[in-house]
This record gives sequence, structure tokens and C-alpha cells, in this order.
Amino acid sequence: MNQADVSKLVSKLRVKVLPRHRNLPGPKGPEGRIDKLRKTVTGLIKFERIELNYNRADEARQYAERLISEAIRHGDCHKPTMDTADFWLLEKELVHKLFKVLVPRYESTNLSYTRLYNAPRPQYGRSLDKVVLELRGNPYPDLLNNKSNNRLLIQNVLLDAAKNEYRQTKIAEMAKNIGKVGATQNTDSKINEAHEKPNIS
Amino acid sequence: MALAIRWSSSEVFGAAKWFIRRDCRALSTIPERAEEQTVSPKRERQATSRVRISARNPNLGLRHAYPEFLPDPNPKWRNSLREKLERSDMLKRRNQIDIPEFYVGSILAVTIADPHAQGKTNRFVGICIERKGCGLRAEFTLRNVVDHQGVEVRYDLYDPTVQSIQVLRLEKRLDDKLLYLRDALPEYSTFSFDMDPEVLPEGTPVPVNPVQVKLKPRPWLERWERQELKGVANIEEHLKEKDRVRRELRATPWEKYDLMKQYRNTIPIEDQNDIWAEVNHQLRQLQLTRKTTARKRTFTTPKSQLG
Repeated sequence: MNQADVSKLVSKLRVKVLPRHRNLPGPKGPEGRIDKLRKTVTGLIKFERIELNYNRADEARQYAERLISEAIRHGDCHKPTMDTADFWLLEKELVHKLFKVLVPRYESTNLSYTRLYNAPRPQYGRSLDKVVLELRGNPYPDLLNNKSNNRLLIQNVLLDAAKNEYRQTKIAEMAKNIGKVGATQNTDSKINEAHEKPNIS
Repeated sequence: MALAIRWSSSEVFGAAKWFIRRDCRALSTIPERAEEQTVSPKRERQATSRVRISARNPNLGLRHAYPEFLPDPNPKWRNSLREKLERSDMLKRRNQIDIPEFYVGSILAVTIADPHAQGKTNRFVGICIERKGCGLRAEFTLRNVVDHQGVEVRYDLYDPTVQSIQVLRLEKRLDDKLLYLRDALPEYSTFSFDMDPEVLPEGTPVPVNPVQVKLKPRPWLERWERQELKGVANIEEHLKEKDRVRRELRATPWEKYDLMKQYRNTIPIEDQNDIWAEVNHQLRQLQLTRKTTARKRTFTTPKSQLG
């Protein structure tokens, strides 16, 4: 049993964190792992949407989330946070982007700062799982093709037509019934029968 | 003087305002822009995130004095119900005996029930060299040199056989663990058993003792030269060229920036807020009762031995 480290305070991440880190194998060991992750985090902050292998993406995602949450918590006047940003962002103009663009963007959000999508993989051959890692609120078009609200989607067009047809029949019936009610006073049961007839036919 | 008179009153007023805004530091090199942000606190308050608000909780300061109330950060060993039960048991034990605030580097006197000792109790005085564990399994180690022989005793903090824990000197050291005292000269871990408790005035922060110990020549129990210790003075004297080269090879300067490693070793603020909200009231009550009893103890007049 270990005691929690109380010298540092960190804010909780909104993404899933595994109990143990992933080794990203390479000849340089743990240092090489951090180097790889630095490159990926820099790319993510720079391009806002990147496609890569799942393992590396999931690790880099956690580091990017931590970096942004530290930047939000301490701001740009905090020396250790500035050092950390300087270490993780290999291109130094991205430090300005982190503190001046990303911090205001994510300051009042309740969600995670990044998103991870599964990407298609080639059908044949030995390949690792591909994913797309992106920052939320990026300027690119949405990746999820969620058109359920689009009126021009074929399913929506057909549904609209069906609804319209149903409404027309209802109106026609009502018009017929109004005429009948004026001539002979129908009971409720007869109206029900009249309702059922067109449905059966 | 003539210049000042020639200035219009508004200009003088403006200059004075500028001078006051910069906290009367006319020669400071801090850029103007930083001050401009503080001038409009209203807008900043609106923009502050939930992250920053949750970090402002004053209860978070309790984590230094009561680190064992935080659970183990390893998610494999987490169990919210067990943690909650353990916290309530710890508070019950703290209602029974007074467990004072202490840190690694403080000098403690611990009395435990010992059926084989004379008078059925055993008292040991020593410097706390390590605090480990969380929950009811929290433990600390005391070290002393008795009759030229180093002695270390590991106590469980919530052990029911512990009868009293007294802090003789409340202070911190430069390092988180003082295990290097095992390889240091014995004078650095020698404390007399009849030491009088030193009382700090109320409200003072816990002092940090900047003493740097001297190590005995090798062989050592650990490779102290690789641990970046601040409290050791003469570590370079005992090193050969080979050791320096290997220290360089084994150095891990990137670990300082390994954000997820830090994250996996700590409990996040949001979780800590829940825990401290749960135990805060009772801990403050215990602190108050300790203060009042300490005050009473100072006012009691010694009874005359003759009557």
C-alpha cells in the first residue's frame, strides 16, 4: 500500500486512465517513449486532428489532457507549468497557442478536451488498430456522419412523405365524417369503425 | 519642482494612480500587461473554470498533516466502501487517543502496551524517518541510536496497543524520506530519551530543518548518489569516477515532466474534495479539543509533594 503524493495537486481527467502506462517499445526505452509522446502531443496541438495507431494515441491523449488541464489550472504566469509546456511542445509557437487559444476554449467546458475515434483499417494484412485523435472544437468538419436531423436524408424524406400521406387521409376522413354528422347523428362506435376501415384496406 | 508645478493637476493625478497601481514599485521590471489583468477582476471571475474553483477549497490544506486519509492511488486497490469504513474507524481511534500532527524529520516519543516490559509499557524516542501506507495500515518508523547501536521501530499509527504519541520536536527535513540516516554518522540519529517537548507558538508554520548530514564511508545500504538527496553534505567525497559515470547513465531527467506518472501517484482534487468534506468537521473538532486540553495543562498548578 502506498501513500498518495500530497506535494502536487492535479485536476481529474475526463478520459479513462489505465492503472499502468503502456510501454511503447523501442531501442531507447522509457526516454524513447516520452520522446514519441512528445512528438504526438506536439502534432495534436498543432494540427488538432491526427490519425495514428491506437496505443500511441491513447497514451498521447492522456498527456495532452493533462497538459491542457495544467495550463487551465495554473495559467501562463506559473513557472513549472511553463517549463512543462516547453518540454512537451517541441515547436515553441505552440506554447502561445496552448495558453492563448486552447485555455480560453476549454476553460468552462465540462467535457474532455480531446476525442478519439476508431478509423477504418485495411481489410488484408497485419495492421494495428487505427484511430483519429482530435481536439474538441477544431475548425474541421465533423467526423461522425450523424445526419439524423438532416431533412434531405432519404430515410427522413420517406418518413416525411409517409407522415404527410397519413395526415391527408385523416383530413379526408374527418371531412367525410363532418358531412355524415350533419345528416345522421352517428354514435362513437360507428366513428371508430369508420376509422378502422381505411387502415385495413 | 518647477516642472511639477507646470503639470496640470489631472496629469499629476494620473501619474500617482499609475504609481499606486504598480504597488509603488516604480523601478520594477514586471510588464504592465500583467497588472492590467488584475485591474478588471470582474471579467476574470466570470471566466474562471470549474477546475480552478475546485482547487480553491481550503480543506485541501489538510492533506499535509493527514496524508493517510487519502486512499491508495493505485486504482486496482481502490474500494470506495472500504475506504469510507476505514476513515470512520480512523476517526474513532483518533477520538480515543491523541494522534498529533507530525512529519518525516519530527522527533516523537511513542508509548505502547508491552506485556513483557516492566510496568507493562514501553516508551521509545526517535526521529521519524519514513511515513508509509494509507488508511488503517498507515505506519511510521522511528530511528535512534541506543548504546552505539542503531535501533529502528516501525509503528502502526492506528495500532490499539499504542498508548500515546507525543511530538517532542515538530519539524520537517529537506527530504521526503530520511533512510540515509542509516548510513550517516550516529550523531545525526542520536536523541536522548529524557528530551523535553519543545512547544511552537500557535500559528507558526512547521519549521524546516536545513541540516545536511555526513555519510560514513562505503559500503552503503543504497546508492544514495542516484537519489538527488538534498539533506546529505559529503556524498561526492565517497564516489569514484565509475559511480559518477553510472549516475549520469541512470539519470531520468524526463520523469520530472512525466505528467501521467505524477497523475497516477496522486489523488485528483475532485476526489480529495469529497474525502476532506467527509472528515473535515471531525478533524477540526479534534484539533480544537487538543488546543483546549493543552491550554488547561499549562494552567494546572503543581501539587505540593509534602502534604
